[in-house]
Amino acid sequence: MPTSAPEPLLEVAGLSAGYGKIVVLRDVALTVGAGEAVALLGPNGAGKTTLLRAVSGLLPRTGQVKFAGRDMAGAGPGDTVRAGLVHVVEGHRVFTQLSVFDNLLLAGYGLPRPELTRQVEEALAFFPEIAAKRNDRAVTLSGGQQQMLAVAQGLVRRPKLLMLDEPSAGLSPVLVDRVLAAMVRLREAGTILLVEQLIEKALAASDRVYALARGSIVLQARTDEADLPNRLEHAYFGQDVSAPLAS
Amino acid sequence: MDVSLGLLTNAVISGLLLGGFYAAVSIGVAISFGMLDIVNIAHPAFILLGSYVAFIGNSVFGIDPILAAVIALPAFYLLGMAAYQVYYVAFERRDDQSLRGLSFFFGILFIVEVGLILIFGVDYTSVQAWYGGGNLSLGFIELPWRLLVPFLLGMAMVAGLQVFLSRTFIGRAIQAVAQDQQALRLMAANPTRIKRIAFGLSFATAALAGAAMIIIQPVEPSIGREYIGRIFAICVLGGLGSFPGMVIAAVTLGIVESLTSTFFGPSWAPAVAFGVLLLTLAVRPSGILGR
Repeated sequence: MPTSAPEPLLEVAGLSAGYGKIVVLRDVALTVGAGEAVALLGPNGAGKTTLLRAVSGLLPRTGQVKFAGRDMAGAGPGDTVRAGLVHVVEGHRVFTQLSVFDNLLLAGYGLPRPELTRQVEEALAFFPEIAAKRNDRAVTLSGGQQQMLAVAQGLVRRPKLLMLDEPSAGLSPVLVDRVLAAMVRLREAGTILLVEQLIEKALAASDRVYALARGSIVLQARTDEADLPNRLEHAYFGQDVSAPLAS
Repeated sequence: MDVSLGLLTNAVISGLLLGGFYAAVSIGVAISFGMLDIVNIAHPAFILLGSYVAFIGNSVFGIDPILAAVIALPAFYLLGMAAYQVYYVAFERRDDQSLRGLSFFFGILFIVEVGLILIFGVDYTSVQAWYGGGNLSLGFIELPWRLLVPFLLGMAMVAGLQVFLSRTFIGRAIQAVAQDQQALRLMAANPTRIKRIAFGLSFATAALAGAAMIIIQPVEPSIGREYIGRIFAICVLGGLGSFPGMVIAAVTLGIVESLTSTFFGPSWAPAVAFGVLLLTLAVRPSGILGR
């Protein structure tokens, strides 16, 4: 008996967005299925961060965004979060003067306290390194630990989809490996849309990949397809890579 | 100059108590300027408004001035929320807050001051309370009640707000809002609502600070201007966003002013106090406990 494919958890179609008169994204379409880890790659200035901001409601957009079957037209960041779509911004931006625990409590703004405490502990369980520093102010954490805290903040609400914007940005190679190792654990727990510039590491952590260049999707593929890094490189430079490249 | 130990001790004690009062008048700006980056230069005018509210409660209804201020707290809180909403719609939302926002609060300062002059006149006004005179004697130390009660009030205000900021959701959000509003929005918090609440709290402190002021000294509508520089100096000296730093700065300034007044005359006190500020900032630009 034929079965239809399950509806994607996140469905973006015809999305355009920018900053004032500067159009950054043009007619972007992508999907993320439940339980998937999807990587969004692209060179600097491609519009990756703009895409996440547009999807999470931080930026005005045209086009359609559907999440968990719900049309998110007009939804702001608060509505998006409450629907289960959580965006962790780039730059390990935590509240440096608050403790680790208070940072996580704040991430659950509006949740009832008993439920919130439980969910904070669940989020900390992903990152034992910062769980040990729960009463320390966030300013005392290293860059990698602050990034883990930022991701843990995203997990507090038990998101259906977690969007991570360059979690490795600004970190040393050792810290990058530690943060992305946490991504592997997260992948087992839920659905992730990962924006990254580190191609190899992103592909290793994902099921599918989209490449964004000059404001448009130029490639989509499964990460186990042949010759993918080469095709990505060609996609970044504007060559047609809809089919595997001839050798 | 004849420096006796008793005179020195009492000058230091008086300065310490004065510092507690300075903390009371500064804590509202520690919130609005230190945490919200809003230069509410009109805050001293609302402190004076609080003084006159305490005066009305005391002279018309016969109630304790501090109790009158407590009764007026909700009204001041709502006034602060309304003032922020106007400021936000007119300036902050348009990213126009730096100069025009400052002008807005300058205008508010003069409107409130002129309003008080028209209603109460320019003569000095005071209140009647059992702690308005007399001293608490502890051995050779004399603690004037009219300084001690505002000191205790100031310390209670600081302690109460510190607990609120560190133990409540809204309190943590207020600490966070100045640092990263976008991150807060992504946590389903409304930064504008949080800032409105914080500004309301800032105004509410003016009610109590006003009661403290009219206990310490008779007031007239224009003396708020004497406190503008002092309040912002205390907030900057203590470190923006730090209540403990603000208290240390307030006490430091109080002691310096008291010692200067006692041994060199009251005219020198403001100059020496601001000299301390400049020296401290030259060595530690972020303030005593600045971040």
